[in-house]
Amino acid sequence: GSKHTTTPADNYYLARRRTLQVVVSSLLTEAGFESAEKAAVETLTEMLQSYISEIGRSAKSYCEHTARTQPTLSDIVVTLVEMGFNVETLPAYAKRSQRMVITAPPVTNQPVTPKALTAGQNKPHPPHIPGHFPEFPDPHTYIKTPTYREPVSDYQVLREKAASQRRDVERALTRFMAKTGETQSLFKDDVSTFPLIAARPFTVPYLTALLPSELEMQQMEETDSSEQDDQTDTENLPLHMSTDDSGPEKENASVLQQNTSLSGSRNGEENMIDNPYLRPVKKPKIRRKK
Amino acid sequence: MNRKKGDKGFESPRPYKLTHQVVCINNINFQRKSVVGYVELTIFPTVANLNRIKLNSKQCRIYRVRVNDLEAAFIYNDPTLEVCHHESKQRNLNYFSNAYAAAVSAVDPDAGNGELCIKVPSELWKHVDELKVLKVHINFSLDQPKGGLHFVVPSMEGSMAERGAHVFSCGYQNSTRFWFPCVDSYSELCTWKLEYTVDAAMVAVSNGDLVETVYTHDMRKKTFHYMLTIPTAASNISLAIGPFEILVDPYMHEVTHFCLPQLLPLLKHTTSYLHEVFEFYEEILTCRYPYSCFKTVFIDEAYVEVAAYASMSIFSTNLLHSAMIIDETPLTRRCLAQALAQQFFGCFISRMSWSDEWVLKGISGYIYGLWMKKTFGVNEYRHWIKQELDQIVAYELKTGGVLLHPIFGGGKEKDNPASHLHFSIKHPHTLSWEYYTMFQCKAHLVMRLIENRISMEFMLQVFNKLLSLASTASSQKFQSHMWSQMLVSTSGFLKSISNVSGKDIQPLIKQWVDQSGVVKFYGSFAFNRKRNVLELEIKQDYTSPGTQKYVGPLKVTVQELDGSFNHTLQIEENSLKHDIPCHSKSRRNKKKKIPLMNGEEVDMDLSAMDADSPLLWIRIDPDMSVLRKVEFEQSDFMWQYQLRYERDVVAQEEAILALEKFPTPASRLALTDILEQEQCFYRVRMLACFCLAKIANSMVSTWTGPPAMKSLFTRMFCCKTCPNIVKTNNFMNFQSYFLQKTMPVAMALLRDVHNLCPKEVLMFILDLIKYNDNRKNKFSDNYYRAELIDALANSVTPAVSVNNEVRTLDNLNPDVRLILEEITRFLNMEKLLPSYRHTITVSCLKAIRVLQKNGHVPSDPSLFKSYAEYGHFVDVRIAALEAVVDYTKVDRSYEELQWLLTMVQNDPVPYIRHKILDMLTKNPPFTKNMESPLCNEALVDQLWKLMNSGTSHDWRLRCGAVDLYFTLFGLSRPSCLPLPELGLVLNLKEKKAVLNPTIIPESVGNNQEPVNSTNSHGQSVGFQNTFSNSQEEEEIDMDTVHDSQAFIYHHLNMLERPSTPGTNKFIGKMIGKIGWKEQSSGEMNMHPVSAAPLSVFSKESNSSKHSDHHHHHHHEHKKKKKKHKHKHKHKHKHDSKEKEKDPFTFSNSPASARSIRSPSLSD
Repeated sequence: GSKHTTTPADNYYLARRRTLQVVVSSLLTEAGFESAEKAAVETLTEMLQSYISEIGRSAKSYCEHTARTQPTLSDIVVTLVEMGFNVETLPAYAKRSQRMVITAPPVTNQPVTPKALTAGQNKPHPPHIPGHFPEFPDPHTYIKTPTYREPVSDYQVLREKAASQRRDVERALTRFMAKTGETQSLFKDDVSTFPLIAARPFTVPYLTALLPSELEMQQMEETDSSEQDDQTDTENLPLHMSTDDSGPEKENASVLQQNTSLSGSRNGEENMIDNPYLRPVKKPKIRRKK
Repeated sequence: MNRKKGDKGFESPRPYKLTHQVVCINNINFQRKSVVGYVELTIFPTVANLNRIKLNSKQCRIYRVRVNDLEAAFIYNDPTLEVCHHESKQRNLNYFSNAYAAAVSAVDPDAGNGELCIKVPSELWKHVDELKVLKVHINFSLDQPKGGLHFVVPSMEGSMAERGAHVFSCGYQNSTRFWFPCVDSYSELCTWKLEYTVDAAMVAVSNGDLVETVYTHDMRKKTFHYMLTIPTAASNISLAIGPFEILVDPYMHEVTHFCLPQLLPLLKHTTSYLHEVFEFYEEILTCRYPYSCFKTVFIDEAYVEVAAYASMSIFSTNLLHSAMIIDETPLTRRCLAQALAQQFFGCFISRMSWSDEWVLKGISGYIYGLWMKKTFGVNEYRHWIKQELDQIVAYELKTGGVLLHPIFGGGKEKDNPASHLHFSIKHPHTLSWEYYTMFQCKAHLVMRLIENRISMEFMLQVFNKLLSLASTASSQKFQSHMWSQMLVSTSGFLKSISNVSGKDIQPLIKQWVDQSGVVKFYGSFAFNRKRNVLELEIKQDYTSPGTQKYVGPLKVTVQELDGSFNHTLQIEENSLKHDIPCHSKSRRNKKKKIPLMNGEEVDMDLSAMDADSPLLWIRIDPDMSVLRKVEFEQSDFMWQYQLRYERDVVAQEEAILALEKFPTPASRLALTDILEQEQCFYRVRMLACFCLAKIANSMVSTWTGPPAMKSLFTRMFCCKTCPNIVKTNNFMNFQSYFLQKTMPVAMALLRDVHNLCPKEVLMFILDLIKYNDNRKNKFSDNYYRAELIDALANSVTPAVSVNNEVRTLDNLNPDVRLILEEITRFLNMEKLLPSYRHTITVSCLKAIRVLQKNGHVPSDPSLFKSYAEYGHFVDVRIAALEAVVDYTKVDRSYEELQWLLTMVQNDPVPYIRHKILDMLTKNPPFTKNMESPLCNEALVDQLWKLMNSGTSHDWRLRCGAVDLYFTLFGLSRPSCLPLPELGLVLNLKEKKAVLNPTIIPESVGNNQEPVNSTNSHGQSVGFQNTFSNSQEEEEIDMDTVHDSQAFIYHHLNMLERPSTPGTNKFIGKMIGKIGWKEQSSGEMNMHPVSAAPLSVFSKESNSSKHSDHHHHHHHEHKKKKKKHKHKHKHKHKHDSKEKEKDPFTFSNSPASARSIRSPSLSD
């Protein structure tokens, strides 16, 4: 920091920096150096800090990529691997005999969390975790407490609830749609009591009429996956082009040609099929005009 | 002289034989909806002096015709474009139908006619005399075709392939002439080479084998080359081009399925069943599928749901469905099976003439029935047969009869075998669509009668024989005279039957095939206790229209206490009474089981029956071996026994219908028992629901217990613990699914003493909707929910209106408010989560119309009109249009009628246009004997114009317009028209030749003596010069004159003179003149015919009188030709003399060519 301020954040930064310097120094000592120039220590500290920051940043990315907020061990491992570090050597290195244990960093302005209602005994640290690391959380935050209260299982009530809930949702949703869009009405004098979402023509009307809606597709998967196997798209692929392939690309590459190559590569046994529509398109013959 | 060896009397109407045709479409423009291509026909003359070739062509713009590379002159004349030429005040349908039939005849390929007449260049005459091959090469284009070829081009961004744009051929009967010049007959077979050059992202599907696909030089397009080596009629050629997804059938690799983008999963499921149909047909016919490949194409905006062509079928895309859909599955499978049956009979085996059509439709319908029986079971099959029988009986009684095999004597209208109809049955293209549907229905029923007579084994042998003959013939690649073996004729078919079975079925054929009408039996009986004899009286009504007298055997089945006994009665001229001895003593032996027809023995509670009689029930013609309607009287308990114990579903259904007249507790019990009986056929149970509702309504004052069916439904479908809540849906058992769907619909028909739907029932239905839960179901519940809405609609009763108050929300009935609440929510939810085929929207629209009609909601068509717009799913449009049609009728709205008629003319979808006319005919705004403000002269003119010229691109549509005209105005002059100025008294039927001479078909005789009649072909108006001016004066003001008696008598006199070339030409000229006037009035928008100057056809200029004029037509011919051709300009130079005389003489409109239609007066 070029500016000299003494905010808690600054203090924290300085403390961290100091700890890193201690780490660098001890590593140097471990490596057999008796003394080091300040500039060299600073440079090494800077490098170490960058390296650790990169591990943190990268691990965070990996964890967020999998829709989590807390990095896990595997995120770190992947990060290290990605950075070219041989992870397997790490445990041995951690248990090396000549390692130096660094004292706890000086705590400056550590925010004191109010000791709120401790319940039960916190688990002590295992031996390999330094004492200055945070304590385990209160047991009640992770210990399962089974409850035996009777759930609402009266069938009639459940059905009633489900039905009214669905109806309310549907009504609210359709009313919202009707309010926000164009409507038609059955009564000239009243447009709000029975609002009908206006009929809108489709450019390709048969698609919505024939294809199962997403909800139905979902249901289909849920109800009986074993019997629905026949319907899955993937089974179609080997035989003929998939929907994506048929996307009318303006390139010269023919759909059919793609298709045959697909069918050829995806499963050899289907090569037996000799259907004229699967054959490749021929190149034009060069005709000489007389 | 055209007779070919060994073809069982098939006589080609043409003086040549077509052996091969090339169709090449090298450009298809989806943006402009146009097609450019050429055809090349290889023909062998069969007469030495062949000098002109008549082909069929409609809509096509023909640029150039060459015969053996020599430019050939041609004339294009299509009298069907405008049936009645003169803007006459004639508005009677009789007149129109005769004229229309004559116009169709005039271009009928089966009579050797055609719209396009090509002159064989004189250089080739010698060549022709040696009967050497001719190659006729025709360049043509099609621009925005209105029929025959249908373009579907969604208006959105992207390339045509991305948009899913496609095009396909369609039409009613032989309609191939709409998209390329051909001999559009089912009897002219040839081999084919088909080439289509399309965008690289598109696929062209057509008949025969795809030989190869080749890129064009710029690599942006590719050409599909098809070869069809099995001789095939042009009418069976088809085409579909689009960005189709391709699915090779996993069971049969030579079968390929095509669908529009994104629908592949549906296609896969839908077609997964097809191989079983193949196996079935091949097995029963002991014959392999005749073509080397088969293609199914599913397209949007289909003309008909199923269209079968040689080695391919075109289906409506709306037949596709996923595995979740129950109701559509059997319907689609039936369509697939129908299409496949027609591959054998209809495509591979074609027909000799229109009057043989019944054989093809009959056989394909019959084997389709066998498939039904095997696939859906005997119950479904018998139910279907009964349904078809009821339909044909109702139609024949309504219209006066359907004739399967019309024989036309000498073409005189007096002999018209169908004088009771408002259209001619001489041609498929003049036939009402409904008649044709019923025709097909009757054909397969008659085939079934033949089977009853000769046994199924022989029947199948006959089919096999026809097929093997045809397949032998089809392999004769170079002996085209053998190909006529592939054509079936009535006589050939009957001969085959008699050869195979050795039985004489002539009486059966005479009764049902050569004669129209059905039989109407009335039966009643008495039991003579002393003689122990059943005295059966069977009367017939054979005087009403559509009936005929039946003489012959009739089976009667009597179920007695001791068993079921069949008796065959001889129905004779004057015997009404038949004594049938009974086997059982009336004394009932208690505790004894009753043997049934099928050998089963059952316990019956016999307390209901008459103690003196051993008769349980009687059935007349139980096997439906007569096309008949039976009204039989027996007591209510007998019907009840029949319903409970007779095992035939048809008997059960008959009993249910009869029980409607006996609203007693016993009937109620019998129906309820059937409803509960799970072994009972589900359709019978469904029918019982509706009968129970009717009985309950009749018994309303004495009815005890909860509303009919409610406790039954609760027991079957509701939760055990909470009976007011329906179980979550599980449709695994289809029988109970159908019952669950139907019961609420029937229950909603219940009425209390005030004739209102009981509140309890309404709440019950509303609860079904509320608690409907499909989350755990493997199947979609869209049909079920749609029927619940139908049930709501059924519960609606007319509003009690005080002082005709205006319908507003405030005075809305609270029950209706609940109903509206549901409909609104359903209809809105459809926008967010649309159901399959939008069944729910359809039901909602119908329900809203019911509410309007009953006065709960203000009657207003605007909602329906918005749903009827192009861009909605077709089922929704039809439902909406139906509501508009109904509104038009109830509110007598001229505006809506106009809106509908505009749509008939302009809608992009042919099916919608057809359907509007159909619905208007079925639910007409007024009928001929009704006073209506809608019935006025303008409407008459509008409809007349519609059928006269506005629908020339679609046979089905034109016939639909004729049907509507008939329904509204009847056969004679509409009553709303003022009387014609000149009282025209004329036997139109007799003398129509005079009134409308432009369209008289040439008799076949003309072909034999081409020279004689072709003189007048020299078009034309140019001949005027040769006649005296005095005659010319007569042409003045033809429009006003032609109606007059004087005019007609004058010409009658002329016609009665012996036919001389002079008169011939005179009439020809007259007609030419009339035609020209029409044309110049600019009403018609016809495709100009090519620039090639018209020339005289007559090969030998036998008439020296005219030789002077020939050169007029020939002058500068050769020089100008090329120029014209390339610029597509249609100018001609004439010598000054002609120009002065009549500057329009050579206007290139088809109208000027009309004069070639010289009336043949020799007979």
